[in-house]
Amino acid sequence: MSRKPNILRRGTPFIWLTGGALAMSLLLVAGMLLLILWKGLGFFWQKDLTLLRLNNGSAVLGEIVEREAIPDLDSPGAPPKMRVKVKQGNRDLYGADFVWVREDEIAERERPEDALAVERLGWGDFFGYLKEIRDGDKVLAGGGAEGLAKLQELLSADYELRARIAKVEKNQIGAINDAIHGAELELKKLAYYGTTMGPEVDAQKALLAEHQKTYDELVLDLTALRRKQTVSVTLTAEGGAMSGGQQKEKTLPISELVEVLQPNRMGLGAKAAHYASQLWSFVSTDPRESNTEGGVFPAIFGTVLMVLIMSIFVTPFGVLAAFYLREYAKQGRWVSVVRIAVNNLAGVPSIVFGVFGVGFFIHFVGAGIDNAFFPYMGNTPVFHSGGILWASLTLALMTVPVVIVATEEGLAAIPKSMREGSLALGATKFETTWSIVLPAVMPSILTGLILAMARAAGEVAPLMITGVVKIAPALPVSASFPFGLERQFMHLGFHIFDLGFQSPNVDAARPMVYATTLLLIVLVLVLNIGAIWIRNRLRQKYSAATAAI
Amino acid sequence: MANEVQTGGTPDLSNARVGRSSVLRTCPLPFDRERHRRRLGFDRFARIFVIAGGLLVIFCILAILFVIAAKAWPLFQDATVTPVPATAVNLSEPVLAVGSDEHRQIAYVVNAKGVACYALSGPGGPGSSLGTAQPIADSGKLLPLNGARVVAALPISGKTLPLVLSDGRLALPELKFIVTFPEGADGPRRVEPRLSCEPPLAIHGAGPGNPIRAAALHIEDGDLVACLAIGGGKVVVLHRQEEHESTGLGLGGLGAEEGEEDTQTTVALKTDEPLTALALSESSRYLFAGTEAGRVLAYDLEKNVPAGDHVIAHGPITRLAALIGGRTLVAGDARGGVHTLQMARRERNEHDIAEPPSRLEVMHAFDAHDGPVAAIAASLRNKTFATSDAQGNVFLHYGTTARTLLRTRAEVGTLSALALTPKSDGLLAAGTDARLAAWDMNNDHPEATLGSLFGKVWYESYAEPKFIWQSTSATQDFEPKFSLTPLIVGTLKGTFYALIFAVPLGLLGALYASQFMHPRLRQWVKPTVEIMAALPSVVLGFLAGLWLAPVVEGIAPGVFSMILVLPMTIFLSLLAWERVPSKWRHRLVPHGYEVFLLCPVVLAGVALAIFGGGYLNSWFFGGDYRTWMNKHEMTYDQRNSLVVGIAMGVAVIPIIFTIAEDSLSNVPKHLTAGALALGSTPWQAAIRVVLPTASPGIFSAIMIGFGRAVGETMIVLMATGNTALMDWNIFTGFRALSANIATELPEAAVNSTHYRILFLSALLLFGLTFVVNTAAEVVRLRLRKRYALL
Repeated sequence: MSRKPNILRRGTPFIWLTGGALAMSLLLVAGMLLLILWKGLGFFWQKDLTLLRLNNGSAVLGEIVEREAIPDLDSPGAPPKMRVKVKQGNRDLYGADFVWVREDEIAERERPEDALAVERLGWGDFFGYLKEIRDGDKVLAGGGAEGLAKLQELLSADYELRARIAKVEKNQIGAINDAIHGAELELKKLAYYGTTMGPEVDAQKALLAEHQKTYDELVLDLTALRRKQTVSVTLTAEGGAMSGGQQKEKTLPISELVEVLQPNRMGLGAKAAHYASQLWSFVSTDPRESNTEGGVFPAIFGTVLMVLIMSIFVTPFGVLAAFYLREYAKQGRWVSVVRIAVNNLAGVPSIVFGVFGVGFFIHFVGAGIDNAFFPYMGNTPVFHSGGILWASLTLALMTVPVVIVATEEGLAAIPKSMREGSLALGATKFETTWSIVLPAVMPSILTGLILAMARAAGEVAPLMITGVVKIAPALPVSASFPFGLERQFMHLGFHIFDLGFQSPNVDAARPMVYATTLLLIVLVLVLNIGAIWIRNRLRQKYSAATAAI
Repeated sequence: MANEVQTGGTPDLSNARVGRSSVLRTCPLPFDRERHRRRLGFDRFARIFVIAGGLLVIFCILAILFVIAAKAWPLFQDATVTPVPATAVNLSEPVLAVGSDEHRQIAYVVNAKGVACYALSGPGGPGSSLGTAQPIADSGKLLPLNGARVVAALPISGKTLPLVLSDGRLALPELKFIVTFPEGADGPRRVEPRLSCEPPLAIHGAGPGNPIRAAALHIEDGDLVACLAIGGGKVVVLHRQEEHESTGLGLGGLGAEEGEEDTQTTVALKTDEPLTALALSESSRYLFAGTEAGRVLAYDLEKNVPAGDHVIAHGPITRLAALIGGRTLVAGDARGGVHTLQMARRERNEHDIAEPPSRLEVMHAFDAHDGPVAAIAASLRNKTFATSDAQGNVFLHYGTTARTLLRTRAEVGTLSALALTPKSDGLLAAGTDARLAAWDMNNDHPEATLGSLFGKVWYESYAEPKFIWQSTSATQDFEPKFSLTPLIVGTLKGTFYALIFAVPLGLLGALYASQFMHPRLRQWVKPTVEIMAALPSVVLGFLAGLWLAPVVEGIAPGVFSMILVLPMTIFLSLLAWERVPSKWRHRLVPHGYEVFLLCPVVLAGVALAIFGGGYLNSWFFGGDYRTWMNKHEMTYDQRNSLVVGIAMGVAVIPIIFTIAEDSLSNVPKHLTAGALALGSTPWQAAIRVVLPTASPGIFSAIMIGFGRAVGETMIVLMATGNTALMDWNIFTGFRALSANIATELPEAAVNSTHYRILFLSALLLFGLTFVVNTAAEVVRLRLRKRYALL
């Protein structure tokens, strides 16, 4: 081409503009994911402790988490002054977890080697120094490296004790509680149906008395075990920079301590190991301190269980509907209308499904079940309130169009010759469907199911009204009927909402929210990428199959 | 249906069946007829199973609409009353007042001689409905009237049943209803009336010659205020304060309790017109008086000054009553007119100026009676009230919506007493005929009408009709405000800002990806964008509310300057790029890979905009744009529509992108090829050929994006302040239908008006998205057919 057409005719600026739009969209998502990744993973990294000595003579010990310019309204042009946000911990001593310190007030920054970061059961982290360790009145050790070694030794002994206590508390007492509850219910049931005396009642009462006795014994055991935890640790803290600054002491029973670290002495390897253990305890332990500390295990459990229950319902029904629409129904106006309606249902807001769940499952089906099977419960609802079963069913209804659409697509992709071949060999329609079509469409069903699971795992709005709670007293499983299906449960998505927006201590909860968000995103993305991968393999397989035929 | 499917179903199947039987007949192997029959039977069973199951699933899915609609439907059902056969009560005097207990088991009747109670028994047992009345012996003997007669009775207030006596005294007997369960907690309920009375109080200035002409009484937190009109425009105000109710302790529990003190003061309303009716407002602040000349006067009892008056009728005012909460006054007059009035409220920002004089204003006029209004009965549950004339025409009204709900007629001679049962589930009337007329009343959702849900409503304590959503409050006498309009506006506002952000990005991106991007790259970009669509909205909402909102607050001018700065950066960098020798250009970034070059350019543009925004902030807005905005009377909420627009935009972009990209890249290739062959540039082919052909697909992409944004819940819940506003300001938040449902449904009482209105809003969302999606889907299917033809 000798003469270039002018730049406007070529439209290059506009092409660049469109490209810019795409770049912007991709950057938005990439930036968002990076932000979550950074903040979420950073949460588990043990930061060094810095001691800030201020001009006014006070000092703050803590992790420096943020640095920003101080908004200055008077002289907008001048170079901004900076301030740092310090996580000083020790909420019980100084009131707030975080303080802002102006950089021009800092006289000196130190990195004290023997500063401790103590994770404890209540009141958030403690930063300070070890003063002494006592057993009752007897001083076991003072501060310093020696004291710390002693403390770690005592702590590991206490972990064992704690494990034993937890075993008694959770397993044994938990089981007895369940049994007592069961016997009481049985009595209630008998009384409701008119049996207030007789052998059955006596048997239950005897059982109850026996359980009560075991319970009392276990409680005695527990007290005995608890009595062994006599060691207490005295720590000193530095903080309160904003209120004049003071050193304070705190004595903690050893059973309060979760972990004692010296972050400034930890090397990269120790920190990495600590990082891994933090990550593990995040996904495997229960939350503490109204969810702002501890792990998210019940939320993971609730999310996974809910998605599984949903899958049990959504797969057969979705597949059945798709087979009806594609294989058995006469293709005509009715089927295409139904198809459009089903497609569109995927676009109906999830909250609408939640409202349906409340109106239909909880207040109609649930109330009916309670009336029919649990009349002796009186005003205590069993199924007539939000619970994991109803939440799962609501989501199943919401995601059934996804499975139908995916299965239908798969059915449409199966070459007709496969069905015809089977029929020609004498198989009935059912036999063809069962042993030829179904195996061939299985990957599509799987794709649909995974997409449905991904959608369900990330959905929160309908759950908020059908059974998700901030803190569930027990996991939604149990050994006896109704197997915990009626229980309320915790969910990762709702956990994010609750921690970020309804937590009493949003600042302290924020890193936790990022970590939870990361977990949820990883879950959803893995499911989605899996679905896409299966779909792509399927496409290749069928394009090959069609080509071969 | 099933039959039709079987006979007319897939033709290849019926052919196969014929073919199979012929094959089987010539089969050399032993033919197991039994097995064959079983197989065919199984096949038939499977067919029925799949069809039935499929239809069931589809039916269930479609039933959603009906279930939600069925829950919302009772909102629009009119109030009904069912008359219970009138029963004679053996009284020789006209009835002055009637009423019943909470459980509708006891009715009490006041006439000139005192109080009498009747046991009511409906067809389904006591309490099931209002029913025939059986006199309860001895119930009328407790009143020591000393030869005086009762001339007027006020509605029962708590336990106190105020009676005005002919000798100018006021009796305050207590009528209690004792509830017992004689057969245990699950047995039938028994209600017994107990009437006790202390000696009537003499009223200063009233006596046998100067009777009490009108009276009103209000009890709040144990404070009793009674107002009694005694002629000459004078009103005696009786105030009784109970410091601590020491019931149950037995010490001086009878009669007047310790710390109980009566004070009587006389106030003169400056009017020559004789007073005909009185009423008291909330906290007994205002006294309302109706006069012979049709005027309603208000008097401030706290400040002892007149507080305005209003002439509402040509004839005398016959009855006044306060609705629950005491903020709305109902006036009935001799011409049959029924009006509600309130003390006019001043707008809040006028507070600084000297207080203007109080004013009484008429809010609503209701259906008028033919004759003078003889009785007004206000509900203790909501703003329902009933009025009647002497001929026995009873009207039921609802104060908030200014609607007359229904009309009925009582055959009780000259009607003189009317009451709503305490739970507002029944209506009682009596008159000269010594008969008790009763109705079971069904009036569950008087608050909800199409007008009140979607139009402006003049709520009490407001200066003018407004759109307000305020569903709950701590107080019992609260007037619920159920206007869906601010919620709908909020939903549309969020959707609008999300689409403003998402449509350009999504569509332009789709155009680039489908027309100019290298196919190998596209293979990667498409699934990436699809995954974007799967990001949980709670994550977007959380980031928007906790991270983006403070960030945007810091750099708002920069965010706005991006609209200009970004395209300019792109153009400028293009100009710079054109200077690079073309050999290098193609080697560095081949055609279709420009996006790699553009990523840093966009990043630079964003940085430039934020940087420039800082200068804009200091030069144009004087250092802080928020101060500047405050000066110009604009508000900036941290969680505002801009933040929601961006967050929800991120949720909508992938949807718009995917659908638009599909329809753009499915435009038959020979069209573009033709255009290119005729000498157009790829850009011209894209804009003149591809875009017009695919425009229906782009329309449906935007529609589906709209549907997603309308129903999005978590993002709007977390990234806005959730205040129900009625503006389109980008710097304020809003309350969306979906977020409203999510926050309020768990707290709404099952089957209450509030609950049903939330179902109605879900139905609205469902309807809106379903219609929009269907339209988009139909357009898309048409487009696919058109492509097939091309």
